[in-house]
Amino acid sequence: MKKLCLGIESTAHTFSAGIVDFEGNIYGLANDIFIPEKGGLHPALVREQHLNNFRSVITEALTKANISINNISLIAFSQSPGLGPVLKIGALVARILSQLLDIPIVGVNHCIAHVEIGRLKCNIKDPLTLYVSGGNTIVSAFESGRYQIFGETLDLAIGNMIDSFARDAGLSHPGGPKIEKLASESKKYLPLPYVVKGMDLSFSGLYTAVKRLIESNEYNLSYNLNDVANSLQETAFAMLTEVTERALAHTGKDEVLLTGGVAANQRLQEMISSISEEHNSKFEVVPLKLAGDNGAMIGWTGILRYKAEGGHSIEDTIIKPKERMDQINIPWRSEN
Amino acid sequence: MKSNIVQEKLIHKGAEANLFCGVWFGKNVIFKHRIPKVYRIEELDRNIRFARTLNEGKALIKVKKYGINVPTVYEIDRNKALIVMKNIKGEKLRDIIGTTNKIKLKEYLKKVGQFVALLHINGHIHGDITTSNILLTPQEEIFLIDFGLHEYSDKIEDKAVDLHLFKRVLLSSHGQNYKVCYNSFLEGYRIEYENNNLTDYKEIIKNIDVIESRGRYVKPGERL
Repeated sequence: MKKLCLGIESTAHTFSAGIVDFEGNIYGLANDIFIPEKGGLHPALVREQHLNNFRSVITEALTKANISINNISLIAFSQSPGLGPVLKIGALVARILSQLLDIPIVGVNHCIAHVEIGRLKCNIKDPLTLYVSGGNTIVSAFESGRYQIFGETLDLAIGNMIDSFARDAGLSHPGGPKIEKLASESKKYLPLPYVVKGMDLSFSGLYTAVKRLIESNEYNLSYNLNDVANSLQETAFAMLTEVTERALAHTGKDEVLLTGGVAANQRLQEMISSISEEHNSKFEVVPLKLAGDNGAMIGWTGILRYKAEGGHSIEDTIIKPKERMDQINIPWRSEN
Repeated sequence: MKSNIVQEKLIHKGAEANLFCGVWFGKNVIFKHRIPKVYRIEELDRNIRFARTLNEGKALIKVKKYGINVPTVYEIDRNKALIVMKNIKGEKLRDIIGTTNKIKLKEYLKKVGQFVALLHINGHIHGDITTSNILLTPQEEIFLIDFGLHEYSDKIEDKAVDLHLFKRVLLSSHGQNYKVCYNSFLEGYRIEYENNNLTDYKEIIKNIDVIESRGRYVKPGERL
């Protein structure tokens, strides 16, 4: 029987369970996603939903893998970063299972897991990663034993900004795919704030500007929502692409990995692919199912850490809502 | 007839510009071309390239008179997004930090700090201070290059962001030498302010923490 790890993801809107073996094969993956009726993610409401559904999600993953919980020999969970009340659910479930089944437990940083699942499934070794999602906008690469952050947003995350704007424009959650569709129907570009500071970015001014555009008297006269969506995407993605290219030139990496929920956007893929080609780098997008938040990436990263230094003691499984990926040593990768 | 302007060969392909060496009226020069980026739409692309070319050219000319070592500008062609400037022969600080002894390293970073302070005192923000944008010549002179993201500002906030970006590069690319480099850099920065009988450096340096606390997942002082 293969050694199997149950990975539990619980940092924000997604509660997910993934079953992964120690070679990186994924046997079962199940998700439950909190979708707000209005507004953003209220931590207390997300927590309630995850508490209600964790059992069915884990059961579904086990069923897909065609195994019982007793076949699991390692539990991994998302320990950082994320919404405190939501992280606690994943940690709680993981601790209980670890103690009941008497198997080791290991905590995982969510952002690092996004990179590791990409390295595994896209068959690349040492990429520069652009990780774009509702909660994160990070340009990272491995240097001096850690996943260093070369660039990041100074305020809003890209996905959060797009979703917030979509909400203001009356579109339902999740707004990203809807904005992408609207944008594809326009060729018009309205000038918007383009804020790049070195390899860091700022989206708050851009958000205010697009919000003003749809509140203006000119709205639906000289331009429509498609035009605003197009201008928003063109500006924000050009900013992301520019800092990624700058980081690529600075680090000299020859692989580029695009991941996170926003990685699903075709226009962004096209832009990042373009600069990768220009710098003779291999470009990969993490498959959609594994680019968004998922338990398989937590399971796989848990396996990597477990193999390198064993499991965590229960005292070390305390959640760390604000832990950054560049604060964590990576014992499973040798210095390059 | 032999032309007075000869662009010879591509010597560096940067993130936003291609650098060619060549000759310009008998001088050894660099041709810095901001090349069109096909990933962004033409209107945005042109605006960015033209604005940054003009901005960089003007900034290089202005900051030189404060005694900061930057390449001399010979020609700016906005519509070709081209700057012709002196060819500074030197190594990127990025490539020598790991192999330079501590005493020299302190000296270099102190000088960098002094130059950045001179920029800030005179209302200039570099916008992209990285170890790739600092050159060391064989005569051990420090040169600042790449002013494409330069801005005019006298805000504490903007100056602190400038320092924060450099701190980040030191942390991410030069973790082993981070402390020596950053402390010497700040020392030079402070000394230059004090030489000019100014004390705003205190507030600027304090503001770095505020900026970092605004980033994702950090509290002030928790970063290290």
